[in-house]
Amino acid sequence: MKKKALAFAAAACSLAMLLGGCGSSNNAANNTANGGKMIITAGDSEPQNPLVPTNTNETGGGVVIDLLFSRLVSFDAKGNAQNEVAESITPNSDASQYTIKLKSGWKFTDGTPVTSESFTKAWSYGANAKNAQKSSSFFSTIKGFDELQNADKLKGDEQLSGLTVKDDTTFVVDLNQPDATFPIKVGYSAFAPLPESFYKDPKAFGENPVGNGPYKFESWDHNKTIKIVKNDDYKGNDAAKNDGITFKIYTDDDAQYADVQSGNLNVMQSVPASATKTFEKNKKLQAYNKAGSVSQTFTIPSNLEHFDVTTEEGQLRRQAISKAINREQLTDKVLNGIGTPAVDFTSPLIPGYSDSLKGVDNLKFDAAAAKELWAKADKISKYDGQLTFAYNADGGAKPIYDAIVNQLKNNLGIDVATNPMPTFQEFRNAVTERQIKGAFRTGWQPDYPSAENFLYQLYDSAAADGKGSNDGDYKNKEFDALMTKAYAATSTEDANKIYQQAQEILLNDLPSIPLYYSNAVAVASLNVEGLELNWQNVPMYENITLKSE
Amino acid sequence: MGKYLLRRILQMIPVVLGATLLVYALVFALPGDPVKAMFGDKPVNEAVAAQIRAEYNLDKPFIIQYLLFLKNALTLDFGNTFAGQPVIDEIARAFPVTIRLGIMAFCFEAIFGIIFGIISGLNKGKWYDTVILLISLLLISVPTFVTGFAGQYFLGVEWSIIPVTAGSDPGFFDLLFPAMVLGSVSMAYIIRLARSEISSNIAEDYVRTARAKGMSNGSVMVRHVLRNSLIPVVTYLGQDLGALMGGAMISEQIFNIHGVGFLTYQSILKGEGNLVVSIVTLLLLIFVICNLLVDLLYAALDPRIRYA
Repeated sequence: MKKKALAFAAAACSLAMLLGGCGSSNNAANNTANGGKMIITAGDSEPQNPLVPTNTNETGGGVVIDLLFSRLVSFDAKGNAQNEVAESITPNSDASQYTIKLKSGWKFTDGTPVTSESFTKAWSYGANAKNAQKSSSFFSTIKGFDELQNADKLKGDEQLSGLTVKDDTTFVVDLNQPDATFPIKVGYSAFAPLPESFYKDPKAFGENPVGNGPYKFESWDHNKTIKIVKNDDYKGNDAAKNDGITFKIYTDDDAQYADVQSGNLNVMQSVPASATKTFEKNKKLQAYNKAGSVSQTFTIPSNLEHFDVTTEEGQLRRQAISKAINREQLTDKVLNGIGTPAVDFTSPLIPGYSDSLKGVDNLKFDAAAAKELWAKADKISKYDGQLTFAYNADGGAKPIYDAIVNQLKNNLGIDVATNPMPTFQEFRNAVTERQIKGAFRTGWQPDYPSAENFLYQLYDSAAADGKGSNDGDYKNKEFDALMTKAYAATSTEDANKIYQQAQEILLNDLPSIPLYYSNAVAVASLNVEGLELNWQNVPMYENITLKSE
Repeated sequence: MGKYLLRRILQMIPVVLGATLLVYALVFALPGDPVKAMFGDKPVNEAVAAQIRAEYNLDKPFIIQYLLFLKNALTLDFGNTFAGQPVIDEIARAFPVTIRLGIMAFCFEAIFGIIFGIISGLNKGKWYDTVILLISLLLISVPTFVTGFAGQYFLGVEWSIIPVTAGSDPGFFDLLFPAMVLGSVSMAYIIRLARSEISSNIAEDYVRTARAKGMSNGSVMVRHVLRNSLIPVVTYLGQDLGALMGGAMISEQIFNIHGVGFLTYQSILKGEGNLVVSIVTLLLLIFVICNLLVDLLYAALDPRIRYA
């Protein structure tokens, strides 16, 4: 009997050795030894959707999609749009119709040409509710979108009526209303062209995408790696200087950071919370840290009692709260320098940004003035309730909101408290169901570099009441009128001037209170050069090369 | 024996059914709408959201969802993840790594735990007994993520002795340190358990009798003391094998191992009922089977125990 027990234990152990030993033990840390090819390794998270442009709305897959597909326009490092596949994008007199001409000679990596239909069919597919594409709302301004929303009556191949193909390289887009930002919007990844092969088997395509971008898809080993290689036929603005990128999938920021420090990984497009204080001084890696395009705010619902944005009392209280917050202290002491105090409602990487708009004083710390404003509001109507600040506790926002609450207690002497919710999912649900009776965390990462993407989506009446991302249900006719006016502008410069006027209204009303811009941060191993982040806070992978040894 | 086995296996059925129902209900009860969360803070297109809900049966009442899941599970169709991957593929990718890690950790804690436990138990009060006790105390009191992070930083990043992360296709050496971290706390418990069992059994009457019969010291130790002392250790080990699988999450996260722990964590965050229930059911089966094996091993270790 004893022998049996020992035999069992021995068998279990030898099994373990066998199982352990059967994997390959070489970790292939050497990046240069890829047959003389310069392959860059970068960290990423597992894409949450198949790799289809219209169905990808998170960064794990977005990073890859951006490199695999070229759109009509691309953006330079400063966020300015330049023609990519488009030869020209010409608006009519009120910017409600665009004639788009394509450059000839563009090809997908399967050899088929990029034609007008590559765009129109892809956009229609994305808009068609039957296909359940997560980025479908991006096509809602194109004529015919509403007819494609009743999924029960659709087959999935119905086309948007606002898209008319003239010939292989020309098509016309009719919009529901004027939209001067349309030529910028089409730079968003959902507007990518798709080859004919996509429609035969979208599912297989999502596992093995065919694009027209600077890189060509090679393989996707789920939860492990995504490999893309240089597309030699690419003729756009962002030609790759390396031979390919291998994205290694990480489940944890700290593990990724450890790999960069030890040289196992070339590029990491973020910095773990545990290293924000030290990463710039770390001698084992190179660091990047500049103001980014993500704007962090908190929103006080526009109709919240005593804070109603349409009343003088509400405006005074909002201004008092905003002025009682010391943003420099937040970014320096709480964020350790990976944030930049906000001075507007967009971000410094967006064309048209200004740090000296009228009313910017409302975002500057002044405890005495804040107290005065609050006292003035109290004279109109006494308020002795508690203002709560809701946030999701799974995203590292706790220290920020603890600090804000402390600052408000000290600087204004009012009753405030945090209201953490366990997960992002739960938090967003409470926000969209309008269940939060107090302030809540909001933040915005632009989809395309235009002030419109911040202002219209977040503050226009048309985006309120659950129809968009105006979570505070801010409604201001004057502001809406400026949005409409900007849409009809025929040049980006004109539109940007109007957006600045619109921002000045927001700076007075403060439907949400801008806190800071999250910095664009990244780290890279010491053996690469060319690390620079674009307006999306993503490294421009095509420019990264290995240092010659 | 056969009847006993059959009874135990039949007992598993209600346990598995009850557990799946419970877990499914817990995932269902999670606050928040998983479909809305898929859109992040971007506008939700209701027409699209409705399509997705219908695809994953999320538009149906809880009990219908559960029964549909069970019905499909019986035909080995566990559904798709929200990313469009078959659940079974996800599991097939994650389980082998975790099983490998778990068994390595198990061997580590069993071998070193018992060896050090015996050394300590037989040499109570000697200086190396004190050292072993101190080390085990340290391992028990320091959380595994501290051991893991510290080891990763000093042994991996600073001194390059161990691989920093296990990477996408981990081999024996990639998993060695993570397995040691994973098994370290249990090893410490086993050391202490074995030590106290051995030192108390040595003083028992039957040991004195055996010696009086003139048995050699070695065979008294092996045939009487060890065999009796190992029963609680085996119980502990058996239960721990299941716990190691489920508890591998911290090691997996620190060393970037794409196993079950991470998959479970992600699927809970995303509210993926099918995936969570499938994983938990598998872990449960492993747990139940390990327990059964332990009970059978008792009989091998202690002739007084018989199953009928």
